[in-house]
Amino acid sequence: MGFLAPWFFGGIALLSVPVFVHLLRRHVAIPRPVSSLMFFERGIQSSTRHHRLKHLVLLALRCALVLLVVLAFANPFVRRVAADTNGRLLLIVLDNSFSMRAGMRFADARQQAIAKLAAKQPSQKAQVISLGGQLQILTQPISDAAQLRSAIERIQPGDGHAGYGELGRALRALAENVRMPIDVHLYSDMQRSAMPTNFADLVLPANVTLDLHSVANKIAAGNWTIESLDAPAELSDPKDPHRSRVRAVVAGFSTTAASRTVSLVVNGKTIATRKVEVPADGRATVEFAPLDVNYGFNRCEVRVEGGDAFSADDAALFTVRRSDPQRVLFVHSSRDTRSPVYFGSALTAASRSSFILQSVSEEETTNLDPSRFAFVVLSDSAALPSIFEHTLAQYVARGGSIFIAIGTSAARRSRIPVWDGSVADTRDYARLAGAVNVGEVDFTHPALIDAQPGRDNGGWAEAKVFYAAVVDPRGARIAARLTDGTPLLLDKQVGQGHVLLFTTGLENLTNDVPLHPVFVAFADRLARYLSGSERLSGSRLVDSFVQLRAPADSASEHGSVEVIDPDGRRPLSLSEAKTAQVQRLDRAGFYQIRLANGRAMLIGVNPDRLESNLQPIPDDVQRLWIGSASTGDSLAQPAPAHKEGYRPVSLWWYVMLLAFITALAEIFFASRYMSTQREEI
Amino acid sequence: MQRFLDPAVLAGISSLDLVAKTVVDGFVAGLHRSPDFGFSQEFAEYRAYTPGDDLRHVDWNLFARTERCYLKRYRGETNSQLTILLDASNSMEYTSGPPKKMDYARFVAASLFYLAIHNQRDAAGLIVFDEKVRDILRPSTRPGQLGRLFAALERAEPHSRTDLAKPLHHFQELLHRRGIAIVISDFYEDPRSIVRAVEPLRYRGNEVILFHVLDPQEIRPVLSSSAILVDLETDQKIEVVPEYTKTAYRVKIDAHVESLSSQTRAAGMDYQLLVTDQPLDAALRQYLALRQERN
Repeated sequence: MGFLAPWFFGGIALLSVPVFVHLLRRHVAIPRPVSSLMFFERGIQSSTRHHRLKHLVLLALRCALVLLVVLAFANPFVRRVAADTNGRLLLIVLDNSFSMRAGMRFADARQQAIAKLAAKQPSQKAQVISLGGQLQILTQPISDAAQLRSAIERIQPGDGHAGYGELGRALRALAENVRMPIDVHLYSDMQRSAMPTNFADLVLPANVTLDLHSVANKIAAGNWTIESLDAPAELSDPKDPHRSRVRAVVAGFSTTAASRTVSLVVNGKTIATRKVEVPADGRATVEFAPLDVNYGFNRCEVRVEGGDAFSADDAALFTVRRSDPQRVLFVHSSRDTRSPVYFGSALTAASRSSFILQSVSEEETTNLDPSRFAFVVLSDSAALPSIFEHTLAQYVARGGSIFIAIGTSAARRSRIPVWDGSVADTRDYARLAGAVNVGEVDFTHPALIDAQPGRDNGGWAEAKVFYAAVVDPRGARIAARLTDGTPLLLDKQVGQGHVLLFTTGLENLTNDVPLHPVFVAFADRLARYLSGSERLSGSRLVDSFVQLRAPADSASEHGSVEVIDPDGRRPLSLSEAKTAQVQRLDRAGFYQIRLANGRAMLIGVNPDRLESNLQPIPDDVQRLWIGSASTGDSLAQPAPAHKEGYRPVSLWWYVMLLAFITALAEIFFASRYMSTQREEI
Repeated sequence: MQRFLDPAVLAGISSLDLVAKTVVDGFVAGLHRSPDFGFSQEFAEYRAYTPGDDLRHVDWNLFARTERCYLKRYRGETNSQLTILLDASNSMEYTSGPPKKMDYARFVAASLFYLAIHNQRDAAGLIVFDEKVRDILRPSTRPGQLGRLFAALERAEPHSRTDLAKPLHHFQELLHRRGIAIVISDFYEDPRSIVRAVEPLRYRGNEVILFHVLDPQEIRPVLSSSAILVDLETDQKIEVVPEYTKTAYRVKIDAHVESLSSQTRAAGMDYQLLVTDQPLDAALRQYLALRQERN
């Protein structure tokens, strides 16, 4: 219990008024004149005690009235559970992100959440939400405390990265659906890295009040982690000095300058150890080379030795698949002798022995089995043997990939093999305007991926195209366009496989792309994308997705998938294994997956390294966040994270009601004792 | 002076006929009708002449016309003399709320003076007394008498204490003619001594009326707690408890009023209790009605 305006207690001095009137003034007797004392007789008060008692009751009532009025102005309040009113929804949000594994954070947060739930009124509705890699609503708004408690107890610390922006969006959506005020209690370590880039994402609706319950220390403890990892997912030659290496960045958060030992573990064995000097709150790079691994999948791990406050993030997992170089079938017309040279040279320069290009002419493809190749390239091949074309169609349907480059023969034969479409038109820019450049490039496409394309449009700006075919882009993803809008690179899903269509040639007659450095990078990415080998190993982040089968795949035509999580369990049921198209990697560790097309993959899954920075959100930002909710009072709270889920409930009305009743009683007694008595006649 | 001439009060009194109990010796016709016939101008009746009648009363005009001898008779009128004895002791100063007993007594006296002089053409006089006679205004019908009476009432501020015995002989000296004597007082004395003091007035043929003026608090006093009471005349102080005022006091004051009333009536006088919270005209009307019933 407390008082919102305690300075009004100075009004207690008013108690002196009734005390003076009753205890001091009453002893002053004023003589009362009468005409004559002829009929009066001297008398002594026989019931002095009773008389005084009556007045003491009146005195007590008047004192009580003064006290109650003073008390009412002091505005007393009691602390009650914030959501004690049945008309408010108690929303418990429990953070189970990866950082909550540090110390006793998650246990403390869950205990506080359970305590909050126990303090709610039995009839009040509540809802439980876990905030991890994904925001999960675990219960509907219910009042069953046992069910709610069970939902909280079922929450386990996860490996995902929490985002308060996602929480804000979810609360805004929830506030629109729930027609009642919502009291949100967030139990979290209040990581600064969980804040969205735009603070507006945190703004809450007017009917939502937010209480933050931080389980983190004000000052974050030092934490070491492997912030990033550069390792080959596919390795053909362990002695290749460019590819056979692992480069890791060791980062320290809230740490002092120190020397750390970093180890490379392959299949459970430490094969290399490095010492690295890491500056205070800084980063250092450590490299392991060469990377000598066995054939097949290898489970690798880079670990920071020595331990710290958060040991769960000391290691970074990845897998390396060692295999012999894969062959690529390059089919070209007999007249085209340049394209195999350009493409083969670029592929050799890029993949460094990972791929071996086998170049054949159209006429030599009759007896070839494309499934023996990583992927197939058709360069200006307008007249493939029908049997080979049929074989290619089946190859693509089962998951194979083809790269088709349309050369100058498109003008003679408009039909494009395997690609379900034909050449609608051809553009001879050499005759019209001389040449056109590459315009829009979709750098998110795996064959063109570039995280930071420069002003040169990722290297494509200087490339000129002299001749291009115009095709119907329906059903295909346009990855690049020419400056006149003509699609340059199209990607179409056909069956389980992919068909990429390059609307110009791979030689230097229709364009000068092979003469630019970007062609090497393009060939490298194209080969890795089409071969699919890059996707079968390596590392991913928690809560990323793996495509198990093509979207158009039918379970009746192809086999089921199989997913084995880091704990060795199969998260998919048999029916799900036949229909699931994607799998969310929600746990850190090694996932062993067999895709629908029969290919196996082993990938290492790591938590988002944003979770390793345990620095909490500053108090002023927390207050600002709370202030974005409807209650202006919360903004004035000095430490909202320590409100313990209680809110003041004013007793003003109750005290005033009591004062009113006391006033009525005082009037009754005063009128009874003090008024002029009328004699019954 | 104006407060004594409240038209509402006077109109209330004028609506009644003041009937004197007895017809005193007087000859001026007025509203006080005498059973005797006299020499006033108001014709009463004719009567046949009988030997021995005064020939001055024979209506010779009628004899000339009818040759019958009749006597012409006129209704006689009498003048009354009103004398008010007003108690101006300190006890009359008491009040529990307006008006004071003294003021109330002044109202009554002034109303009676006005009624007597302005309406009845009676002579009116005033004696103000406490333990002695403080002011005397002899009964008169002279012009300006009413003003002088009112002025005397104004001057009659309460002093000292009451003693009816001492001013009595002065009062007897003043009453040469029979008339109406009204004593206005709170009569805080033994009823026997009061009657004994006033009774000689009755012997001289005066009609004596006692107006007993009391405050409501004097009849039914209310005390919420024990209190110290101070006698206005003697300054004596005693502590009185509320229980006494509810029981014994009321018995005593009731007995006093009853005793005074019975003894004055037994002595051939009239008595009227006037409570200051009662309307002034209602009190007078009640008294006059009582007098009329007795006549």
